[in-house]
Amino acid sequence: MFPAECRFTKDHEWIRDDGGQHTVGITAFAAEQLGDVTYVELPEPGSRLSAGDTAASVESVKAASDVYAPAGGEVCEVNEALDGKPELVNQDPYGEGWFFKLSDVDADELEQLMDAAAYEQFVGEHSE
Amino acid sequence: MQYTPLHDEHVADGGKVVDFHGWALPIQFTGILDEHAHTRTKASVFDCSHMAEFTIRGRDAIQAYSGLVCSDVEKIVPGRGRYGMMLNDSGGIIDDLITIKLAEDELYVVTNAGPAARVAERICGGNPGAEDVSAHTAKIDIQGPLSREILVGEGIAEAGSLKYFQACRAAWRGTELIVSRTGYTGELGYELFVANEAAPALWRALRAHDAVRPAGLGARDTLRTEMGYLLSGQDFDESRTPLEAGAESFVAWDTPFTGRDALLEQRERGGYPLLSGIRTGDRRAPRPGFAICLGDESVGTVTSGTYGPSVGHGIGLAYLQQDVAAPGTGLNAGPKHIAVETARPPFYGQGTCRT
Repeated sequence: MFPAECRFTKDHEWIRDDGGQHTVGITAFAAEQLGDVTYVELPEPGSRLSAGDTAASVESVKAASDVYAPAGGEVCEVNEALDGKPELVNQDPYGEGWFFKLSDVDADELEQLMDAAAYEQFVGEHSE
Repeated sequence: MQYTPLHDEHVADGGKVVDFHGWALPIQFTGILDEHAHTRTKASVFDCSHMAEFTIRGRDAIQAYSGLVCSDVEKIVPGRGRYGMMLNDSGGIIDDLITIKLAEDELYVVTNAGPAARVAERICGGNPGAEDVSAHTAKIDIQGPLSREILVGEGIAEAGSLKYFQACRAAWRGTELIVSRTGYTGELGYELFVANEAAPALWRALRAHDAVRPAGLGARDTLRTEMGYLLSGQDFDESRTPLEAGAESFVAWDTPFTGRDALLEQRERGGYPLLSGIRTGDRRAPRPGFAICLGDESVGTVTSGTYGPSVGHGIGLAYLQQDVAAPGTGLNAGPKHIAVETARPPFYGQGTCRT
């Protein structure tokens, strides 16, 4: 149900190694909970984040919430397409709905995150 | 939790059900943006069976009721409805409501779910001509530019001739109903009041039209916020008066009503906060509870706020100090100090409700 190539946080971010750079977004579960996404605020390219830092924020019709950096690193690219088409987060959360990319990610920090099976169990325990 | 007679329909339609003032109601079906757009362009049905209804019969009963409402009930023409508010002795708003005059000696009153018990006590207490019919009444709103032709197609011919805020008794397949050309979306639409037992069949018949889809509380909220309509319990409660809520035009000063003295005194004193429209310049939304500031100075609080799907920017309602309430004032909202500007509702000007 959740992509095996990603690691996951308890705040429902995913992070994936895309050949050196790491792509970050929010999970399909988070997107579903938020409902229609209407606005995404992205970090400044070049900014340096530590694991757990507020990196972005996402607003839906119903609510607004922060998105945290799953691991430390430097923001090397942000998904500018979300500016005009925030609905991509709902339509394709692991693809076109990505938020930002990090370079210089510490592999040890990724090891501390959940894999797909653990995240699926986490979601099962924390929904309803 | 209380369930409406249409609960099974919502579950079958995949509605995401939430607790709204103790009622299990769908917040959305396909998605709020979808349902919002569908209502503005076609027609949606909303289950509003959680709302309360009262009948008031006879001259004395009507007169007693009139004293509870700040609008001029006596002047309502038979066949028409009028918006109003029920106040406490301090002028605080217990609820807003619509009073429909079905006949010279018969009123039909529609109020909200949250304060229903308190409202029922006021309306029915010591008034033998007043009856709370909520428990056996379902309410289905059909809203959207195509709603007239759909009701007429269902044999409810009266819908073809009712003007905005007119209402009458009608029948659908032998079932009696009350049809009121009112609503909470800004679009052409009707509120249908029908016995609980008949509600599922009526809902399914409307739902069967290609142009009709169910919509939930989420879309209802974005639609009403675009019109600047107030939500009971959120944009006002007993701590706010009609003057503060920007509803002075619904106060009939020359009639006696509970709370009048307190309102007169407040009007005289002036300087009260005023519920005002606010908008952002982008897709970010002000949210209920956000502080509104002029620079660093707090000048108010947001009560309603959302992204406005039909206007493409954030919109909301906020109680503001009067000196910053004039349209076009630049302010900031919430912990991130997003830029907002005061603006006079409705935010969406193309609604079809009067056509």
